[in-house]
Amino acid sequence: MTASRSKYVVLALLSMSLFVALQGSARPQRGEATPQKPAATKVDESVEGEKRFRTNCGRCHHPPEDLSPREARAVVRQMRVRAMLSAEDERLILKFLAP
Amino acid sequence: MGRKYLHFWAALLFGAFGAGACQAQDLVPVITGSAGFLYSKNAGQTALQPILNPILLFPVGSKFLVEADAELQGFVARSGPGQPYQWQGFNTLEYLQLDYVVNSHVTIVAGRFLTPFDIYSDRVYPIWIRNFEDAPIIYPIGTRTSGSSTGAMIRGAAVSRPDWLLNYTAFFSALSTSNTFAAGRAFGTRVGVFLPKANLEIGTSYERFLQDVHSNSYGVYLAWKPAIQVDIKGEFAHSPQGYGYWLEGAYRLPDAGPIGRQLKNLQPVIRGQQFVRTAPGIGDSLPRANTQRVDFGLNYYFPHEIRLNGSYGRQFSSTGDSNNWTVALTYRFLFPMPFWPKGAK
Repeated sequence: MTASRSKYVVLALLSMSLFVALQGSARPQRGEATPQKPAATKVDESVEGEKRFRTNCGRCHHPPEDLSPREARAVVRQMRVRAMLSAEDERLILKFLAP
Repeated sequence: MGRKYLHFWAALLFGAFGAGACQAQDLVPVITGSAGFLYSKNAGQTALQPILNPILLFPVGSKFLVEADAELQGFVARSGPGQPYQWQGFNTLEYLQLDYVVNSHVTIVAGRFLTPFDIYSDRVYPIWIRNFEDAPIIYPIGTRTSGSSTGAMIRGAAVSRPDWLLNYTAFFSALSTSNTFAAGRAFGTRVGVFLPKANLEIGTSYERFLQDVHSNSYGVYLAWKPAIQVDIKGEFAHSPQGYGYWLEGAYRLPDAGPIGRQLKNLQPVIRGQQFVRTAPGIGDSLPRANTQRVDFGLNYYFPHEIRLNGSYGRQFSSTGDSNNWTVALTYRFLFPMPFWPKGAK
């Protein structure tokens, strides 16, 4: 391995270490928690849906903007297949995307 | 009436049935996907690539979904130094599948689908999701011949507990030499464990290629989101022609304080990857020699699903080191099927 190649590899490893260090110092944010039992009210279900979205879908992408309930049903149906969501996940994520 | 009309009548019948079921449930088909414009300069070769990637989602009743994804891509480049730029167009059908959601644990898929080997092909591939516009160098491992398979697949969450989830996918693909449905004869499986509290998923893939010389490919993957701003993904894959890995980290700057508000849409990303050639392979789309590469990129998220990203990569290989520059503008769109009537409910 040449000196310049080693330099790039060391730089890459240092940068990745920085990412890990940053995640260690980052504080958990609202809605980042893990799935819990479904809540009783509509608002709570939307909050729970946001948590499920972040846990399942948010690992790859952010939520779409401005979805109508009819559009959301088609989109979440696809996510159910892609992300292997349960029926409960599907229902709660729908509450979050199109309350 | 000849057999050539059979597909037409089957499609018409399914469409009429689907439209009725869709309307009765107040569902609407959705057109989504992405459009993008990519500029790249790899080893001194400049290329411009406009990309349109429309996806149709057609829900039928409460259990079925038809998904279709086409990719229309242009490629503008010089054929040699001093030559004029030339246009080439490529149209591909990424998938056209019927999904039947049996229950929370089983979904059956039939048709053409993205080959589920590791996670890049069926989770990270869309241009508005991937952090680097060029695919990892080991991407062809396990996804031959076209990245898509034509056959059947079963997938779902075998076990779903608050603390852990076990997901699985198994598929069989038939050989298809048709341009539209090109696929290799193969079968494979993927199993992953997701730990929601740690936001960590690890898994493994296996694929048996069943045409010409039979061969095995296997891989392992990692997807970890330890904090809301941090995203770490990686894959290792092994095939008879060689093995390699990629590991990628992305950090979305936090929205904190006056500086944070200005920078919250920025996301620095980094990726390291390596491929080791162990045997020659003709047309396997893998590098001809041992290759190492490191990429640095910066994404900026504009409102309305628009993203601008740029990256620089340095590749080291015995066939020649090179610099790789990429700038891309992507747009994700989503709208209901035009002129679709409002449902009964």
